[in-house]
Amino acid sequence: MDIDVKRLKEIVGEEDVRDDIADLYVYGSDASVHEANPSVVVRPETVEEVQGIVRYANTALVPVIARGAGSSASGQAVPIDGGIVIDFKRMNRIKAIRPRDILCKVEPGVVCDDLNRALQPHGLWFPSAPESGRIATIGGTIANNGSGVRAIKYGTMRDYVLGMKVVLANGDLVTLGADTRAQASGYQLDRLMVGSEGTLGLIVEATLLLRHLPRFKAMGMAKFSKLEDAGETISDIVASEVTPSLLELVDDIAITALNKTLNMNLPQVEAIVVFECDGRLKDAVDYDMATIKEICEKNSAFGVEMGSDAKEMERIYSGRKKLFAALSRYREGLVCTSLADDMAVPSSRIAECARKIHEIGERNHVVMNAYGHCGIGLLHTKILMEVTRKEQWEDARRAVDEVYDYVRSVGGTTSGEHGIAISKAPAWKKEKADSLQMMKAIKTALDPNNILNPHKLMDAPDDWVTATKLRYPVQL
Amino acid sequence: MEFKRLEKWGSELNLCIRCGYCCEHCPLYRASNWEIDTPRGRLLLAYGLLTGEVDPSPYVAEKLFECFYCGNCSKSCSAKVTPTDIFTDARADLLEFGFAGQGTTVRNDEKLCMACGRCVLTCKSEALSVDMGSMRVLVDKVKCKGCGVCVAECPVGAMSQKTGFGVSREELSAAVENSLRTMNGSPKVVVFCCNWSMTPGLQLSRMEFKGAENASGIIVTVCSGRIDPGLILEAFDQGAWGVMIACCPLDECEHDGNYRAKERCALVGRLLDVLGVQSERLKLEHFATGEAQKLKNALKSFAGEIASLGPI
Ligand SMILES: Cc1cc2nc3c(=O)[nH]c(=O)nc-3n(C[C@H](O)[C@H](O)[C@H](O)COP(=O)(O)OP(=O)(O)OC[C@H]3O[C@@H](n4cnc5c(N)ncnc54)[C@H](O)[C@@H]3O)c2cc1C
Repeated sequence: MDIDVKRLKEIVGEEDVRDDIADLYVYGSDASVHEANPSVVVRPETVEEVQGIVRYANTALVPVIARGAGSSASGQAVPIDGGIVIDFKRMNRIKAIRPRDILCKVEPGVVCDDLNRALQPHGLWFPSAPESGRIATIGGTIANNGSGVRAIKYGTMRDYVLGMKVVLANGDLVTLGADTRAQASGYQLDRLMVGSEGTLGLIVEATLLLRHLPRFKAMGMAKFSKLEDAGETISDIVASEVTPSLLELVDDIAITALNKTLNMNLPQVEAIVVFECDGRLKDAVDYDMATIKEICEKNSAFGVEMGSDAKEMERIYSGRKKLFAALSRYREGLVCTSLADDMAVPSSRIAECARKIHEIGERNHVVMNAYGHCGIGLLHTKILMEVTRKEQWEDARRAVDEVYDYVRSVGGTTSGEHGIAISKAPAWKKEKADSLQMMKAIKTALDPNNILNPHKLMDAPDDWVTATKLRYPVQL
Repeated sequence: MEFKRLEKWGSELNLCIRCGYCCEHCPLYRASNWEIDTPRGRLLLAYGLLTGEVDPSPYVAEKLFECFYCGNCSKSCSAKVTPTDIFTDARADLLEFGFAGQGTTVRNDEKLCMACGRCVLTCKSEALSVDMGSMRVLVDKVKCKGCGVCVAECPVGAMSQKTGFGVSREELSAAVENSLRTMNGSPKVVVFCCNWSMTPGLQLSRMEFKGAENASGIIVTVCSGRIDPGLILEAFDQGAWGVMIACCPLDECEHDGNYRAKERCALVGRLLDVLGVQSERLKLEHFATGEAQKLKNALKSFAGEIASLGPI
């Protein structure tokens, strides 16, 4: 691809442009199975620089791919057609914390957990930091419409974006939304950017709603000898009057992986449900916890443990954040791939969906597990397989299709929080069949030259396996 | 090209899910913020070398010879991949093909070196030796872990490391000066902090607005063994009311840098006494990985003690 690197150097400075093959190679992947090298990487520090890059790209008709931390799981940050990767990590300033307005203003490269560190002295927090918040950026989390583990009570990223500044494909800067929670009528253009995976505009500043840190928290863990019972428990809790601040399922495969890699000593049962309640009054928190305990026991839970001291809570929950990677050690020879990884189903279907995932995995000779923020209907799975064996990719393709056929049949959705990009696009296109044209029209209106993260979402290839080079050494 | 040692890591490299959890506490990444300087990025390079998608080059070698072996990446990897072991093998293979990066390894200036051998004795990695024929200090670039203990130990300043990561002697001096100059409020305390006792404050972002409370005075040295007595005295000379060295528990330092720090602290303490400055103004404390809260508390109480002593 013909790119005027000299021009880019004039815009952002010599130091912040890289085009050595070694750099291009490391910017060619994220946490997905996909790989494709960009042609050049630039690191702007100001809005004007971003505008300059985009204006150049729009005239030269070169793809522009925004990148935060590159922790996406479906290929969002992979430059499928090459082009310019804009690494936003130098735009990492927290620009304002306004406790009286319960909001903050940040640049897109601010890391989610850093934002929470900065908010803590003010007694505030940003609840939508994903599990990957130690590196995930605000820009990437908005563009993926990510969510934190506490989404069941606190909502997902779209509930926290009040407004933003966006550089459009022609280089124009627009201000969307406002500094208020109430914003009536007109197109909700700020919301349109949430979940757009870098295909509609580049977020250069975001105004985020904040919450007060809860004063009291308690966490509990219940064990089940049947996965169905754990699933029913989750459905019952969601349908009850209690709103826990966290409600997670961990299945037997995940338990094995956690015990193996992190020596967690979890009981080897079919499923564990982890729950947490928080609030301003200890009595109220305890009351809710007791209700959840009752629901667990009604569904044949045994050994329900509960605690409110921070260390105890950390112990109960510590493995969860690391589960994705820990699954890589589930069984010698199998590798954990991020496929069909975050579907959502109506909450009454959790048990059924978890069981289906296991069955589909078995039928297709791969291992699939079920865990996740099930309180919002979200189930994570991973496909554990022999990645260097060609046939296994056929197996994975079938398994993915079957899982999503089921998810659609019960009114669920392809992705609950990680996004679509490349690997989930074929299933998602089936799910959104009658609104794809509308999406394409929006994309064409905002990005007529198709320079912003092209060939993702509705424009992604129809076969995810061959969409890009796979990151593993396998000949298909 | 056959990467004999790297070859055996092929399946481990597949297990890395490229989540990036290793990036946050990598001192190299924090210094540059480029993806290639993350452990994930360097694992990718190793992978690219194996698959032939990346050719060995002086640049690639430079990157793979850059690592302080703090081990944070391995500790934070829940897929239990051990990046530092992989980098070591990549180094050995690259050397064999004639690509010797400087990276974070130490350099010996023959013109200054007296071949006294002190550096050899302090190097826990056994990366240094004196060639008796030429009376030169030889550096084994595969074994050198870049801790900088020898740099601080050398009496004539013959050992050095590349700048750019914020931990060379010049950069540490500049950081002391800069943090004392920009520190607002009192007491003025400089904290030298190991990388693996998680430092307070933001890790990868900046706070830039009026009234922002930034953790000031904290200088990440990556290993306490790199702090020589002169650096501590410089801090006092430039107006610090107190200096704290936050290092690992005694037997937990890969490089025994904390033993060196302890000895040097005792020496500077005696010097301060002689100069009529209270030696309580210099404190050494130990913290293990993850003891961020303990570190925070210790900093708070030290600041309290120093405030009551006032400026020197
Ligand atoms: C181990 C692990 C755990 C995870 N846990 C969670 C979780 O709990 N919840 C969750 O929601 N996700 C999770 N994820 C997925 C992912 O980490 C999140 O979606 C994260 O928010 C992505 O942020 P990022 O900075 O890495 O974005 P990137 O991957 O760099 O980019 C994501 C998308 O955003 C676009 N983008 C980035 N910056 C901008 C910008 N400034 N303007 C416009 N577009 C932009 C990119 O082009 C890309 O399409 C997890 C991933 C891993 C590997």
